[in-house]
Amino acid sequence: MLSANEIRKVVAERTEHQRGTGKKVHDVREELDRLEEKGELIVHRISARNRPVDAQTLFGWTKRIPTDRLWHHKSCGQCGNIPGYPSSLLWLMNETGRTYLNEPHQTSCTAWNYHGTATSNPVALAAVAARNFHRAYETDHFPLIHCGTSFGDYKEMRKLLVENPDVRHKVREVLRKMGRDLVVPEEIVHYSEWVHAMTPEILPRQRHDLAGIVATVHEPCHYYKMVPEDAVYDDRVYAGQRPAVPTGILLSLGAQVADYSTWYDCCGFGFRHILSEREFSRSFANLRKIRPMVEEAHSDVAITSDTGCVTTLDKSQWIGKAHGQPYLLPVLSDVQFAALALGAHPYKIAQVHWHSSSTEALLTKMGVDWKTAKADFQEYLRALKNGAAPELLHPAHGEIEKFFAVNKGQVLPDEAGTSALTAPVAHVSSGGSAK
Amino acid sequence: MSIVANLPRRTLTLTEEEAPSPPAMQLTGRRRMTSEERAAASTIFEEFRADPRHHDFVLGCLNCGECTTGCPAARFYDFSPREMLQIAENGDATTLWDAMQEKIWACCQCYTCNMRCRFGNDIAGIISVMRELSVSHGLESTRKTLAPFGRSLTLLMTVGTQVSSDMIQPDFFRDWGPFATGSDKVWGVSAEVMRKAIPLDVLQTTRSAWEVSVQTSLELFRIYEETGVLDMLRGLDPDLTEMLVDIIEERREEFGEARERFRAELEGMKGPVATFTG
Repeated sequence: MLSANEIRKVVAERTEHQRGTGKKVHDVREELDRLEEKGELIVHRISARNRPVDAQTLFGWTKRIPTDRLWHHKSCGQCGNIPGYPSSLLWLMNETGRTYLNEPHQTSCTAWNYHGTATSNPVALAAVAARNFHRAYETDHFPLIHCGTSFGDYKEMRKLLVENPDVRHKVREVLRKMGRDLVVPEEIVHYSEWVHAMTPEILPRQRHDLAGIVATVHEPCHYYKMVPEDAVYDDRVYAGQRPAVPTGILLSLGAQVADYSTWYDCCGFGFRHILSEREFSRSFANLRKIRPMVEEAHSDVAITSDTGCVTTLDKSQWIGKAHGQPYLLPVLSDVQFAALALGAHPYKIAQVHWHSSSTEALLTKMGVDWKTAKADFQEYLRALKNGAAPELLHPAHGEIEKFFAVNKGQVLPDEAGTSALTAPVAHVSSGGSAK
Repeated sequence: MSIVANLPRRTLTLTEEEAPSPPAMQLTGRRRMTSEERAAASTIFEEFRADPRHHDFVLGCLNCGECTTGCPAARFYDFSPREMLQIAENGDATTLWDAMQEKIWACCQCYTCNMRCRFGNDIAGIISVMRELSVSHGLESTRKTLAPFGRSLTLLMTVGTQVSSDMIQPDFFRDWGPFATGSDKVWGVSAEVMRKAIPLDVLQTTRSAWEVSVQTSLELFRIYEETGVLDMLRGLDPDLTEMLVDIIEERREEFGEARERFRAELEGMKGPVATFTG
């Protein structure tokens, strides 16, 4: 295991080596400014309308975390397997009065596929990133990345675009063929950093006492091992020796965070392995993560902040019964846990029923009346089956958006207005109907 | 009389199909290569060493073993990130070829080795370069390794997401248990109704991770066409690639028809929605 001090040393040595080659830049954000001055790209700036909050990074650089007018960059695995993850995040934004766009005009970063099958290349990955960046830019909403791998990949792509003129040129040419420009955001921001920045606004809304809950944290590898320089660290969390997210929000909500010997290990996702070689994924998840979390830390719940990690740690446990490992430790993302602490519906919002390891004992310990909520949800399912309209956190998208990435500035009026073409996609109210 | 006694005696002479293949590995630990394989290995080795990322990612090795000590794959496979790095740094065409047959696919891409490496090597990155070459050269071992990915590659290439809820079927994900795969049995409603109960309209689909607009999927495919990804995939699986092209052609027609249908609403718009034609 490496502490933050050791990581700083390794990263500094690497940076020094790269600078010695004369090719690499030190702080990529400074170079972004220079490239924008030369007309090479556009920097998507964080403005006052994004209501930014400062956070500290591994190297002590200040990172501005936008908290409003956000463009949700959803995660491909999250939405297929654990939809309570994005719905809890948007619910928290409704509760705290933040505006956002949740669009069908986004692709994934495609890096799950790249790390699993290598059927891509750096120019394609950079072009995919830049297409999504430009889409966020033209809607005037700042991208908020839901996935640890997308977060790591986009930082790698930002670095590649800044450092490699040839890649920059190729990507720009591809984008021009679809009417888009090369845009790079001022910061690449992970959603758990938004949670971290929003902690002062989240805490007053807490409804459940979590003092009796023992949580263990799995730190997503691609959050802090890929381009580690600008992961958020905070002296108040593990004395700044481990990333501050998602541990910080758990401590702030009053939960106990217990340490365990293999905190540094990956979850076993493996990108390729979780789909085609799960013998590895489930063995690693159970033996190296879940067992220490239960036997060393006596954990009530495992908390993490990445799609693949929630999936692997949760789904790998059920089969453990066959090997005498009947742990069934609940696994949640930090936003699901925080939303539950604030009183979100465990089924309609946190969508805990998609999880393989039951959360009901945890909910009881948190003081959540899950039995009433479950009966309510079953009634809701019956209503949906009979044709009732679904309850939504934001207005539904119109027919035209099934085909065209209509631009807010071109088609849609301000959030408060209405459109003759389609329903507004920006959410502005402080509460949806699905509570 | 036992039924076994009635079975015909199996001949001791094996047909050509039944005869076991000669051992893939020689006693020296090195696989015997055909002349075609040697030529391919030589080409791959040259491309590997010429890739600009090789210079950026491979910086040297102290032989300390920190990378392998922290490697999750090394615990379960005959795999070592240190070996991969040293092949990248000092290996020859044959050792690279051997590593590309199987070992490179053990890596989890977690970047733990990178984080632990005192020398600052990008070991996960150089393994990705090896993997890219194994795909672009259509190695037979790579075809077999990636054979289960047809469905997710189709999804990825056509809408840009990796998985969908209707991929989580009990026959393939039995080890995930009933809550992950059995909405009908567990909740008494169909998978479609379960998706309707997600309070975000774009997620209420079973066929993708979220609904992706046609323009967005066509822009993505344009990226794949322009950056060589489609050609790369064609070398690996030509049938799958032609199927993808057909899907996109249909989607382009659909996009053109929609442009006619929404003509009045689209008139006067600027930017990509006005200029992009699929």
